[in-house]
Amino acid sequence: MIDRISGHFHSAGGPLFWLHMRTAFLTLFTLGIYRFWAKTRIRRYIWSATDAGGDAFEYTGTGLEKFLGFLVAIVILAIYLGIVQIGLAYFGIFVFAEPQTEAQMIMQVLGVYLSIFAVLPLIFFAQYRARRYRLSRTRWRGLRFGMDHAAWGYVLRALGHLLVTLLTLGLLLPRQTFYLEKFMTDRSWYGDAKFRQDGRWQALYPGMRHLFVGVGILIACVAGGAALGLPALAAAGSLIGTVWLLFGLLHYRVYSFNYLTRMKRLKDQIALDVTLTTGRVLGILVTGALAISGVVLMGAAMIGILFASLFGTSLFSTALDAQALEAQSPGTIMLASGLTVFLYVALIIVIGGVSLVMITQRIIAAAVNTITIDNASDLMLVRQREADRGADAEGFADALDLGGAI
Amino acid sequence: MQRTGRSFAGRFFDGDTSGARAVTVTVEADALSVRSSGTLPPLATWPLPDVRALPSETSRSRLTLSQCIDDAVDGVALAEARLILDDPDAIALVRAICPALDRRDLAAGTARRVVWRLSLAAVALAVMLFVILPAIAGTLARLIPPEREAQWGRSVVAQIERFFGAEALGSLVCRDPAGQQALQAMIARLRAGTEVSYDLNVQVFDHGMINAFAAPGGQIVIMRGLIDAAEGPDEVAAVLAHEIAHVEHRDATRNTLRAAGSAGLLAMVVGDFAGGSVAVVMADAVLNSSYSRKAEARADAYAHTMLEAAGISAAGMSAFFDRLSRTDGAFEIPEFLASHPETETRRRAAQEFAQVQKDTQPALSGDAWLELRGICD
Repeated sequence: MIDRISGHFHSAGGPLFWLHMRTAFLTLFTLGIYRFWAKTRIRRYIWSATDAGGDAFEYTGTGLEKFLGFLVAIVILAIYLGIVQIGLAYFGIFVFAEPQTEAQMIMQVLGVYLSIFAVLPLIFFAQYRARRYRLSRTRWRGLRFGMDHAAWGYVLRALGHLLVTLLTLGLLLPRQTFYLEKFMTDRSWYGDAKFRQDGRWQALYPGMRHLFVGVGILIACVAGGAALGLPALAAAGSLIGTVWLLFGLLHYRVYSFNYLTRMKRLKDQIALDVTLTTGRVLGILVTGALAISGVVLMGAAMIGILFASLFGTSLFSTALDAQALEAQSPGTIMLASGLTVFLYVALIIVIGGVSLVMITQRIIAAAVNTITIDNASDLMLVRQREADRGADAEGFADALDLGGAI
Repeated sequence: MQRTGRSFAGRFFDGDTSGARAVTVTVEADALSVRSSGTLPPLATWPLPDVRALPSETSRSRLTLSQCIDDAVDGVALAEARLILDDPDAIALVRAICPALDRRDLAAGTARRVVWRLSLAAVALAVMLFVILPAIAGTLARLIPPEREAQWGRSVVAQIERFFGAEALGSLVCRDPAGQQALQAMIARLRAGTEVSYDLNVQVFDHGMINAFAAPGGQIVIMRGLIDAAEGPDEVAAVLAHEIAHVEHRDATRNTLRAAGSAGLLAMVVGDFAGGSVAVVMADAVLNSSYSRKAEARADAYAHTMLEAAGISAAGMSAFFDRLSRTDGAFEIPEFLASHPETETRRRAAQEFAQVQKDTQPALSGDAWLELRGICD
């Protein structure tokens, strides 16, 4: 019996790209209603392209149940968000106007924080529920995954950890990362087997080192530039420091993903291993960004050529040439504006597809292809778990626009 | 071709344990039977019409089969067991003999659930958009202190000025002293007979558009184009009375608050897909015009009373609407009309009001009217 199996991601870019194009246009033509089915189809593709030990994952979610969950979430959120937003606008009038007394100033600050804290719990709630829904709709070797009901417990902890991290200026970020992941992992199941998050939160500090370097550069150069009277040093330092900080953030995410994945246990014995490197992810992001820039340039050129041929004037050289515009019949102007809006939307859809294929898919592939599962023979002992009827599917996450790429 | 009796290999997951079993699948008269060895009873027997292929979206040459059942869990009406086929011949055979392989089965009562939840969501949204948000906006608009409202209104006017191409703040404002005097005289005449609780700050912008705005807190802007298009002082006075009505009713403040609430809801319903923002803007415009129609009718009625109290004929309002409706229907709809849709009804209302008015005097003397027309010179 081989006791180690490995993950494998079989996906070609082409089919995924065209699946994205088809579903995105259907979403456009149905005024957004098809987006639940679109997301489901993309997931079904990604899941079935992923396998471990030769057996593919299966995504059993349906667009209809997502749509129904969304309708439930709307009823609750319409009432809540409508009132929060109108309150925010009311305080906004105070924000735009200069505060004249101390009481007004306090009111203003309070208003802003209240409105943010009014939405945050919902976002954390939606995050937990979304993960629970995705797990409950995932199967491997015929057995389903699952997660316990604990969304409100997660909300409380997430708010607490966030507060602590903010108060310590980010120094306790690893504690937040670790304990929130542990909260979710410790409540996750594969069949009747329970997951467990091992490890220590302090072990994530090595992953923070580039963040510290970035902050160090920023402080040293800005303070040094101010002390020596060299504005150029301060400017160069803040640019380098910011780029380093962004890289540090990426490195931290990759590092903590690796660590937290390696420290997960299933049924005490079964362990995962993964070796995703920051360099690999950075390479994917850079080439992906280059591909997207190329698409944007091509799209802009196409829209420009269309304008030039319709109006005999270049959109870019003369901005809005009123005389050239007046010379056209209303019909041409309507047609051109309609076409421009359509091309603009089409360009956004293509960019979404390129980003899905060139970035999201390649990062998933990079991670899945390095995953191995040790003591895999213990997986044979796992049995099916009760089905989880997630009543709201991902309604809250959909309504609040969470969930990232897939 | 004889199909009954043919058999092929597959991998079977029973949906209860995670062990994969290499199985032999045999085509029987009306079912597929799955056996791990020839002698034991079958692991599963699936009637051909009940066999379903799982949708995968990938082009991988693999088919995953399951059985359609009535009492299914998690959304899809499928049994827990899975049969996986990799052999192209076996896949072709299954595709040929299973009549409903790609059917998507829905659990019983699905249609009823869809209708029920759709109506619930629609009712909740409608109540929020048309009842609760306007009511909250109205209450909050009354709670804002007037000086705060005026401060905010000034920043709104500054934005409008920048929008119309002012390079420096105040560079669009027309300041001819004699014209200003005429304008102030007209305002004083209107205010004389009617109690107005705001300090009015009326400015004329040097722009050709036929339009006027009422920003929050007594800030009113009239475009030069409107004064140019008017054929007498009564027409300008009518528009001014209408804008003063908006100020007094706090329409701009109320509308901004309400729109802030509804924009978030609309964005949530439409979602963040490509082109979604266009749809939100369109939906918001439709919603807006339904609110403003009511507000406009109310402002017209207030303006009639104000004109009557000031001894100015409402015929000016009627004449102005008449001129606007003649340009209506052409490609360029005057901006003044865009949120004022029922011009003809409003014109007739002003005309009927004017017919019963007695002892009216022009809003300005002939000389003062000429001064007002020259306010931007």
